[in-house]
Amino acid sequence: MTVTDTASPHTTSAHPSLLDQLLESERVMRETGHYAGLDRLSLREADPLAYEGLHTKLRSMVVSARELARRISASPGVREVGESVVALYTPEGDAIALSTGIMVHVHTASRFIKWMIQNGYEEDPKIRPGDIFANNDAFIGTVQAPDVIDVMPIHHGDELIGWVAAVAHELEVGGITPGGDVALAQERYTEGLFVCAEKVGENDELRRDYLIRLERNLRMPIYWVLDEKAKVAACLEVREAVKALIDDIGLDYYKQATREFIEEGRRSQLARVQQLTVPGTYRGHTFFGHVTEGKQGVLPLGNRNWLYAIPLEMDITPEGRLALDFDGTNSWGYHSMNCTPAGMDGGLFVTLTQHMNFDGKVNDGAWMATDMNLPEGTWTNPGREDVATATSWALLLPAFGLFQRLLSRGFLGRGFQEEVFVGQVNSPMIEMGGESQYGDRFGIALFECAAAGSGALAIKDGIDTGYVGWNPESDMGNMEVWEQDMPMLYLGRSISADSGGSGQYRGGTGFESVWTVANTPQLIIATSEHSSRVFDNAGMCGGYPAPTVQLHHAVHDAGISERGRRGEPLPHRIGNDPHESDIHRYTDGETHVIEGPYLAEPLRSGDVFSHSYNGGGGYGDVLDRDPGSVARDLANGYVTRDSARNVYGVVVDQTTGDTVVDAEATQARRDEIREERRTKSMPVSEWIASSRSRIAEQELAPEVREMYRDSMALSERFAGEFREFWSLPADFVFAEREGR
Amino acid sequence: MSERKPLVLGIDAGGTMTDTLLVDADGHFSVGKAATTPHNESEGFVESAIDAVGNWDMDLQKTFEQLSVVLYSGTGMLNTLLSRTGRRIGLIVTRGMEDAVLMGRGLQTWTDYSYPDRLHAVTHQAPDPLIPRDRVFGVTERIDQFGNVVIPFYPDEAEEAANALIAQGVEGICIVCMNSYVDDAHEQGIADLVQNVLDKHEVDIPIHLSSSVRPVIREQSRLNSTAIEAYAAAAGRDQLIGVEEAAHGQGFRYGVQTVLSYGGLAGIRYPRLHETMISGPVGGILGAKYVGDMIGSDSVIVSDMGGTSFDIAAITRGTIPIENEPTLARFKLNLPTISMESIGAGAGTIIKVDPLTKKVSLGPESAGSWPGPVAFDQGGTEPTVCDCDVIMGRLNPDYFLGGKVKLNVEKAKQVFKEKVADPLGVDIYEAAEGMANLLEMDAKDSMSQMISARAVDPHDYSLMAYGGSGPLHMAEYSRGFGFKSVLTFPFAAAFSAFGCTTADYLRRYSRSVQLTLPPDADANHRASVIASLNDVWDGLRTKAIREMGEEGHDKADVELQLFAMMRYTGQLEDVEVPLTISRVSADADLDYLVEAFDDLYAAINRPVAQYREAGHSITELGLIAKVDKIKPTLKRRPLEGQKPSSEAFKGTREMYYGGTWHEAKLWEMDLLRPGNHVEGPAVVEHPATTLVIPAGDHVWVDEWTIIHYEHAAPADSNSK
Repeated sequence: MTVTDTASPHTTSAHPSLLDQLLESERVMRETGHYAGLDRLSLREADPLAYEGLHTKLRSMVVSARELARRISASPGVREVGESVVALYTPEGDAIALSTGIMVHVHTASRFIKWMIQNGYEEDPKIRPGDIFANNDAFIGTVQAPDVIDVMPIHHGDELIGWVAAVAHELEVGGITPGGDVALAQERYTEGLFVCAEKVGENDELRRDYLIRLERNLRMPIYWVLDEKAKVAACLEVREAVKALIDDIGLDYYKQATREFIEEGRRSQLARVQQLTVPGTYRGHTFFGHVTEGKQGVLPLGNRNWLYAIPLEMDITPEGRLALDFDGTNSWGYHSMNCTPAGMDGGLFVTLTQHMNFDGKVNDGAWMATDMNLPEGTWTNPGREDVATATSWALLLPAFGLFQRLLSRGFLGRGFQEEVFVGQVNSPMIEMGGESQYGDRFGIALFECAAAGSGALAIKDGIDTGYVGWNPESDMGNMEVWEQDMPMLYLGRSISADSGGSGQYRGGTGFESVWTVANTPQLIIATSEHSSRVFDNAGMCGGYPAPTVQLHHAVHDAGISERGRRGEPLPHRIGNDPHESDIHRYTDGETHVIEGPYLAEPLRSGDVFSHSYNGGGGYGDVLDRDPGSVARDLANGYVTRDSARNVYGVVVDQTTGDTVVDAEATQARRDEIREERRTKSMPVSEWIASSRSRIAEQELAPEVREMYRDSMALSERFAGEFREFWSLPADFVFAEREGR
Repeated sequence: MSERKPLVLGIDAGGTMTDTLLVDADGHFSVGKAATTPHNESEGFVESAIDAVGNWDMDLQKTFEQLSVVLYSGTGMLNTLLSRTGRRIGLIVTRGMEDAVLMGRGLQTWTDYSYPDRLHAVTHQAPDPLIPRDRVFGVTERIDQFGNVVIPFYPDEAEEAANALIAQGVEGICIVCMNSYVDDAHEQGIADLVQNVLDKHEVDIPIHLSSSVRPVIREQSRLNSTAIEAYAAAAGRDQLIGVEEAAHGQGFRYGVQTVLSYGGLAGIRYPRLHETMISGPVGGILGAKYVGDMIGSDSVIVSDMGGTSFDIAAITRGTIPIENEPTLARFKLNLPTISMESIGAGAGTIIKVDPLTKKVSLGPESAGSWPGPVAFDQGGTEPTVCDCDVIMGRLNPDYFLGGKVKLNVEKAKQVFKEKVADPLGVDIYEAAEGMANLLEMDAKDSMSQMISARAVDPHDYSLMAYGGSGPLHMAEYSRGFGFKSVLTFPFAAAFSAFGCTTADYLRRYSRSVQLTLPPDADANHRASVIASLNDVWDGLRTKAIREMGEEGHDKADVELQLFAMMRYTGQLEDVEVPLTISRVSADADLDYLVEAFDDLYAAINRPVAQYREAGHSITELGLIAKVDKIKPTLKRRPLEGQKPSSEAFKGTREMYYGGTWHEAKLWEMDLLRPGNHVEGPAVVEHPATTLVIPAGDHVWVDEWTIIHYEHAAPADSNSK
């Protein structure tokens, strides 16, 4: 990013330039500690009801504009599962009010607007009434390339008095692999079509040459093109409503009140943190591992397995200021899972709005009351702008799921047990392209992933097949609608047994889908976000993590229609037999079981493919779970008989057709498990002593060794604490990985 | 008064009150009210009818003997659904989607939540399934989106499922297959086998096919519609039959009718009774359309404010908008429903002040009728907007429900001061007015949203305000829009029941199709589209006329209006395009179809959102078949003088409005005559509603005895 350091651009109007306004706003914030220097909310004090009324009105404008956009969209992502958001900004680009939806973008569009101001857009290409600017460059301000943001200025006379932004998550961006989250991108240059803070329309109309560019560079241009129209319509709707409102209440009132909303947002953020948590330092750790070495299509630069450590420290001051520190996490890499500071803002915001800022006053004030340390050179802040960020959610979700657990410890400490939430998990995505059932080229992200399982609560089980961290308005959509847009037919969509982490309250379960490929000679599939060997989530207070991600099953020439004609059993789910999947059992042809991202040769009609979504972590000791709940879960397929017995210690009788708890056998089994625990356990000091030699001798898997080496190299603090914990010499370092 | 000829009895049984509107041949109305009796709705039905008949000093039996139409819109089915007391249902689905009853749509965990709770993830919870997982069986089969059979259905599995469900003692079986809206062959085939098994076991239970209940795309919505029909319709029908028996017991000679969610009437033996489930508020919209047509205003915004909710809808150029995917009791449905917006904002809405941030919020909870607002003195402890109205002298403490409920003003003041005014540090009256204004602002915002979403220009619309609390707050919630006119009615509190009596015998018939019109379509393609259009419409026309004939209507009386559901190819949402043609006779008619869509689409979604380059798709074709029914007529009376008669004048009362006290004149609503004017500050009282007119505003009564509300000319616009 280059910040213009020159004098303010010459303006013909009597109003100060946006750059001057922005610099002034930053100076005032820095010097007074209050947004716009507002040490009092005078409009609120004078007439709280008129003030609240205006806020309600602004919020309903953006909410209804988002509904308008939904009606226009061609994308099942926007129409069917709500991947969009509309928001209103100050002239400096600070968010005032947001619709529901992907709340990720509270501050991303903000960064985009500020970037244009800082880069002299007032001079060139100029910011005029009716202009439309678009951006999907995460280093300017968005999370990933598919999150395309449109903004339009709002003028009052010749004065720019605000901005309206609309974001939609695109299902196809024209990258090296089809879909929106371009799994195979290793550098920016393979991520697809970039629109870098570009003026894409004038006089309330999208430019024809821009639409032509979209039509010629995307596999499925109708999604992006119609979403673009939808977003512009939504922006116009809000712009006109704001102008009418200003005619009604006066510009001065509008300007003052909207600034007070932001300052109030800042204060409520501090107040909420004070109210809900206990001040102090909270620390946690999570991991993410991607098995990609040697996979087809992986280019030489990134041909390895990736293991990430994500340590996180959360500091809460007595004043309610919340700071996150990612010190100790690993370097960016030649893969698509890197993130930008804008993306990290997104992760923070979508999480905060679900736990403390849900009352509708969420805006940039909350951002001003929080801090994040994103060490340069790590995946959170690569420090160079050519790295790929197409699947940044792979690391964002574990990181902010961990943040949810840290917050939850605060809630628990303060007695807000019902607010505790073990949090979000990865929900692996399928992206696809090739030839559609209509005979055209196509590309789509199958967004049924937007309904995984959530982590448990401290008072009940997690949400089953109905939650993802990035959009609390989660949904998987109808199978019949997805089938309209891809050449695959569902053979089944089912609850994945045991996919929720076990606990007194279990994590919500994920689901799995099985398809037969139909009506296409070529279906390219690329999936992302698979931590298959390490947990990328955790339980709380004794609850277990949800399992690592499931494997893919693909069968070439599976013989589905032939078997169908003969009336033979077909695969509808992966099944609960660990030794043989239903996919293998009920198809002809060879079953390929693939770990990690699915990056294999194209499928075609007659093949079978399966994909699973994750569940969330559990809460509390499994032995404290009500046996009746386990029996009910067993009857409904949320847990298997094996885990009922071996994890929960619950023995049931299913001989009558109903699932009935055998209370006596359950008591005996639970006693047995308690005894096993006592036998296995040892003092921590003994365990450390017994494990130390492995560390000291560096007898670790190459990925694990590299992960720790990298963390220690990037962070002196991490290195110091690591050496201290394991009693290692002051000069201890892990050896570099072999090869170039 | 025994010379009255009672004609139509309309009953709207709400959650708390059962309202009756009795109409005579001269268009006079009588309003009756009684408590709803959910265990046996026929009791509340008779009580409410007695109340209405009593106003005219008539004999109940004689009245029922003379009635031509009895219309009943009840809550039985909805209660059955909400209380999960429906039938024991089994389900057969395409194998692989058995878990759909548990998984639902993810959005069912948060749909219909308030803005804060939609974000606040720990509040999300899926609705309890209507069918437990162990009564769901899969049958292997698949038909693709084009209607090709990819996997034939496995008959053995269908028979096994039927046997297992019979063993479980189910009282009904639903069958839902993927893409059955394109081709129902598998659902039909499975149903035949299941029927054989039932016959073999001599079990007589209904089979419900999703392709019969509503043959449109989205399997989860189809499943919900089918399950609700099977689960809740029977109990609802029993209640309706009870009502009909009670009516017959009083001497009524015909069949009782009920109201469909899209506004038509159907006999209570109608096979898809779940279509009546959202019928309550529909009555008001039908009433508004009827009154609008009568007085020459074909575009109307309706607003119904009761104790718990504020419902609004827009009728545009005579067309009532239909929503195809509404949510009912948190289940997403495929049920064409008159499109209404509803927010939790009524006079009973509870006021809360956050102790931490001092943020004021209204509802969505309501004090309901028990314990009700603090002023009811029935144990209510949470202040409501109704209490504010009492505190400000807008409600008459001695004339609430005609004096049946005495309002405790002091208690309302004490609780409101302690819980709202003091925490905010504001004077009690100022705070009370502020809260009323917040309610009015919520109502206004919801109208603004609808206006923008439906491309409505308020200047072309009349606003109708009704419901028990509509007239109480309409002065403010209708202010500033610039509506063509703002209307309310002496029978505002029973307007929904009135509306039910104005409904016609009406059915929607439709079929999903997949027709595309690319921009460069050649003549052959266009000809084939025309042939398909006529083919589908002809089929629907034949069926509609036959079914209406079977219900006893003269086939010559059946009026038909065609519609097409259209979109730009690739889009996911349709626009319902009403058509004035009766069939497609020339190529130019296709252009008419496309232009009608383009115009309507641009009006709704702004011209920038048009994308003609993508071509057009037609996804559903339908028609509306209608036969007129005898209806109440609003009586037109000569205008009298502006000054109301002295017997209408009830004295004066101090009323707080606009931050100060006014001496308001009090008038009895039923005694106002056509031509009368009433200047604010005034309160026009009725046993069931109260119309508040602040200083500067006035109302006048037109020749139909409709009350026209006129706002003072806007003052300096910066005042608020």
